Amino acid sequence: MTNRIREFRLQKEMTQEDLAKRVKVRRETIVFLEKNKYNPSLRLAYDLAQVFEVRIEDLFSFEDEE
Amino acid sequence: MKNVIALFVLLALLAITLVLWFSKDSMTGFDLGSLGIILVIVAFAVFILGRRIKSWKSGEPQEDELSKMVMLRTSSLSYYISLYFWVFLLWLKDQVAFDQEELIGTGILGMAVIFALSWLFFHFRGVPND
Repeated sequence: MTNRIREFRLQKEMTQEDLAKRVKVRRETIVFLEKNKYNPSLRLAYDLAQVFEVRIEDLFSFEDEE
Repeated sequence: MKNVIALFVLLALLAITLVLWFSKDSMTGFDLGSLGIILVIVAFAVFILGRRIKSWKSGEPQEDELSKMVMLRTSSLSYYISLYFWVFLLWLKDQVAFDQEELIGTGILGMAVIFALSWLFFHFRGVPND
Protein backbone atom coordinates (compact mmCIF):
# COMPACT_ATOMS: atom_id res chain seq x y z
CA MET A 1 0.00 0.00 0.00
CA THR A 2 1.32 3.44 -0.89
CA ASN A 3 0.00 6.84 0.13
CA ARG A 4 0.10 10.50 -0.85
CA ILE A 5 0.18 11.92 2.67
CA ARG A 6 3.36 13.92 2.12
CA GLU A 7 2.00 15.39 -1.13
CA PHE A 8 -1.30 16.48 0.46
CA ARG A 9 0.46 17.74 3.59
CA LEU A 10 2.74 19.99 1.54
CA GLN A 11 -0.25 21.22 -0.48
CA LYS A 12 -1.90 22.24 2.79
CA GLU A 13 1.40 23.81 3.97
CA MET A 14 1.38 21.78 7.15
CA THR A 15 4.35 20.45 9.06
CA GLN A 16 4.49 16.85 10.22
CA GLU A 17 3.96 18.12 13.74
CA ASP A 18 0.83 20.07 12.74
CA LEU A 19 -0.63 17.02 11.04
CA ALA A 20 0.26 14.78 13.98
CA LYS A 21 -1.60 17.12 16.34
CA ARG A 22 -4.63 17.26 14.05
CA VAL A 23 -4.99 13.48 13.94
CA LYS A 24 -3.79 12.94 17.53
CA VAL A 25 -0.76 10.77 16.89
CA ARG A 26 2.97 11.15 17.52
CA ARG A 27 5.04 12.99 14.92
CA GLU A 28 7.09 9.88 14.23
CA THR A 29 3.91 8.06 13.18
CA ILE A 30 3.51 10.63 10.39
CA VAL A 31 7.18 10.11 9.45
CA PHE A 32 6.66 6.34 9.20
CA LEU A 33 3.43 6.78 7.26
CA GLU A 34 5.09 9.06 4.72
CA LYS A 35 7.91 6.56 4.26
CA ASN A 36 5.33 3.77 3.75
CA LYS A 37 6.79 1.93 6.72
CA TYR A 38 3.46 1.72 8.49
CA ASN A 39 -0.09 1.12 7.31
CA PRO A 40 -2.55 3.10 9.44
CA SER A 41 -5.71 1.84 11.06
CA LEU A 42 -8.98 2.59 9.29
CA ARG A 43 -9.70 5.24 11.95
CA LEU A 44 -6.42 7.07 11.32
CA ALA A 45 -6.81 6.76 7.53
CA TYR A 46 -10.28 8.31 7.87
CA ASP A 47 -8.97 11.14 10.09
CA LEU A 48 -6.17 11.90 7.62
CA ALA A 49 -8.61 11.98 4.72
CA GLN A 50 -10.84 14.36 6.73
CA VAL A 51 -7.91 16.72 7.40
CA PHE A 52 -6.96 16.80 3.72
CA GLU A 53 -10.63 16.93 2.62
CA VAL A 54 -10.18 14.04 0.20
CA ARG A 55 -11.53 10.51 -0.06
CA ILE A 56 -9.57 7.68 1.55
CA GLU A 57 -9.01 6.07 -1.86
CA ASP A 58 -7.42 9.31 -3.10
CA LEU A 59 -5.01 9.22 -0.20
CA PHE A 60 -4.11 5.52 -0.23
CA SER A 61 -3.65 3.17 -3.12
CA PHE A 62 -3.43 -0.55 -2.80
CA GLU A 63 -1.26 -2.38 -5.29
CA ASP A 64 -1.99 -6.07 -5.48
CA GLU A 65 1.32 -7.96 -5.51
CA GLU A 66 -0.12 -11.01 -7.30
CA MET B 1 1.58 11.47 32.51
CA LYS B 2 0.57 8.27 34.33
CA ASN B 3 3.04 6.28 32.20
CA VAL B 4 5.84 8.74 32.88
CA ILE B 5 5.31 8.50 36.64
CA ALA B 6 5.14 4.69 36.48
CA LEU B 7 8.39 4.52 34.52
CA PHE B 8 10.05 6.98 36.88
CA VAL B 9 9.02 4.94 39.96
CA LEU B 10 10.27 1.77 38.29
CA LEU B 11 13.65 3.36 37.57
CA ALA B 12 13.94 4.63 41.15
CA LEU B 13 13.19 1.14 42.51
CA LEU B 14 15.74 -0.36 40.14
CA ALA B 15 18.38 2.17 41.24
CA ILE B 16 17.76 1.35 44.92
CA THR B 17 17.92 -2.39 44.23
CA LEU B 18 21.18 -1.95 42.32
CA VAL B 19 22.76 0.05 45.14
CA LEU B 20 21.75 -2.62 47.70
CA TRP B 21 22.84 -5.48 45.46
CA PHE B 22 26.24 -4.10 44.58
CA SER B 23 27.07 -2.58 47.97
CA LYS B 24 29.00 -5.70 48.98
CA ASP B 25 32.79 -5.55 49.44
CA SER B 26 34.12 -7.63 46.55
CA MET B 27 32.67 -8.02 43.08
CA THR B 28 33.40 -10.92 40.77
CA GLY B 29 33.79 -10.64 37.01
CA PHE B 30 30.28 -12.00 36.60
CA ASP B 31 28.92 -9.27 38.93
CA LEU B 32 30.69 -6.59 36.90
CA GLY B 33 29.35 -8.04 33.63
CA SER B 34 25.83 -8.10 35.09
CA LEU B 35 26.21 -4.51 36.28
CA GLY B 36 27.29 -3.42 32.79
CA ILE B 37 24.28 -5.06 31.14
CA ILE B 38 21.91 -3.65 33.76
CA LEU B 39 23.32 -0.16 33.20
CA VAL B 40 22.73 -0.50 29.44
CA ILE B 41 19.12 -1.55 30.11
CA VAL B 42 18.66 1.34 32.56
CA ALA B 43 20.05 3.72 29.94
CA PHE B 44 17.49 2.35 27.48
CA ALA B 45 14.68 2.91 30.02
CA VAL B 46 15.93 6.47 30.65
CA PHE B 47 15.87 7.05 26.88
CA ILE B 48 12.23 5.88 26.72
CA LEU B 49 11.38 8.06 29.74
CA GLY B 50 13.01 11.06 28.05
CA ARG B 51 10.97 10.48 24.88
CA ARG B 52 7.76 10.30 26.86
CA ILE B 53 8.51 13.45 28.83
CA LYS B 54 9.32 15.25 25.56
CA SER B 55 6.01 14.09 24.04
CA TRP B 56 4.12 15.08 27.17
CA LYS B 57 5.65 18.57 27.13
CA SER B 58 4.91 19.11 23.43
CA GLY B 59 1.30 18.01 23.86
CA GLU B 60 1.72 14.84 21.78
CA PRO B 61 0.17 11.58 22.94
CA GLN B 62 2.79 9.45 24.72
CA GLU B 63 1.40 6.38 23.01
CA ASP B 64 -0.43 6.05 19.73
CA GLU B 65 -1.38 3.22 17.40
CA LEU B 66 2.14 2.90 15.94
CA SER B 67 3.91 2.82 19.30
CA LYS B 68 1.39 0.25 20.57
CA MET B 69 1.92 -1.85 17.45
CA VAL B 70 5.72 -1.62 17.85
CA MET B 71 5.36 -2.75 21.46
CA LEU B 72 3.08 -5.63 20.44
CA ARG B 73 5.49 -6.88 17.76
CA THR B 74 8.44 -6.38 20.12
CA SER B 75 6.77 -8.47 22.84
CA SER B 76 5.94 -11.25 20.43
CA LEU B 77 9.40 -11.40 18.82
CA SER B 78 11.33 -11.11 22.09
CA TYR B 79 9.22 -13.88 23.68
CA TYR B 80 9.95 -16.16 20.74
CA ILE B 81 13.71 -15.46 20.81
CA SER B 82 13.79 -15.76 24.61
CA LEU B 83 12.49 -19.33 24.40
CA TYR B 84 15.52 -20.28 22.29
CA PHE B 85 17.77 -18.29 24.61
CA TRP B 86 16.62 -20.36 27.60
CA VAL B 87 17.18 -23.59 25.67
CA PHE B 88 20.69 -22.33 24.88
CA LEU B 89 21.30 -21.54 28.57
CA LEU B 90 20.12 -25.01 29.60
CA TRP B 91 22.56 -26.50 27.10
CA LEU B 92 25.31 -24.18 28.37
CA LYS B 93 24.64 -25.29 31.95
CA ASP B 94 25.79 -28.79 31.01
CA GLN B 95 28.97 -27.47 29.38
CA VAL B 96 30.04 -24.83 31.92
CA ALA B 97 29.77 -24.94 35.72
CA PHE B 98 26.94 -22.49 36.42
CA ASP B 99 25.61 -21.41 39.78
CA GLN B 100 21.78 -21.65 39.89
CA GLU B 101 21.48 -17.94 40.72
CA GLU B 102 23.87 -16.99 37.93
CA LEU B 103 21.88 -19.02 35.46
CA ILE B 104 18.58 -17.35 36.38
CA GLY B 105 20.22 -13.91 36.51
CA THR B 106 21.79 -14.41 33.09
CA GLY B 107 18.43 -15.59 31.72
CA ILE B 108 16.59 -12.54 33.03
CA LEU B 109 19.25 -10.11 31.83
CA GLY B 110 19.36 -11.84 28.45
CA MET B 111 15.59 -11.50 28.10
CA ALA B 112 15.83 -7.78 28.89
CA VAL B 113 18.57 -7.32 26.28
CA ILE B 114 16.55 -9.29 23.69
CA PHE B 115 13.52 -7.09 24.41
CA ALA B 116 15.54 -3.87 24.00
CA LEU B 117 17.11 -5.07 20.74
CA SER B 118 13.71 -6.19 19.38
CA TRP B 119 12.26 -2.78 20.21
CA LEU B 120 15.10 -1.04 18.40
CA PHE B 121 14.59 -3.34 15.40
CA PHE B 122 10.88 -2.51 15.05
CA HIS B 123 11.38 1.15 15.97
CA PHE B 124 13.76 1.70 13.05
CA ARG B 125 12.21 -0.78 10.61
CA GLY B 126 8.62 0.32 11.15
CA VAL B 127 5.63 -2.01 11.01
CA PRO B 128 4.70 -2.51 7.36
CA ASN B 129 2.11 -5.09 6.37
CA ASP B 130 4.24 -8.20 5.88
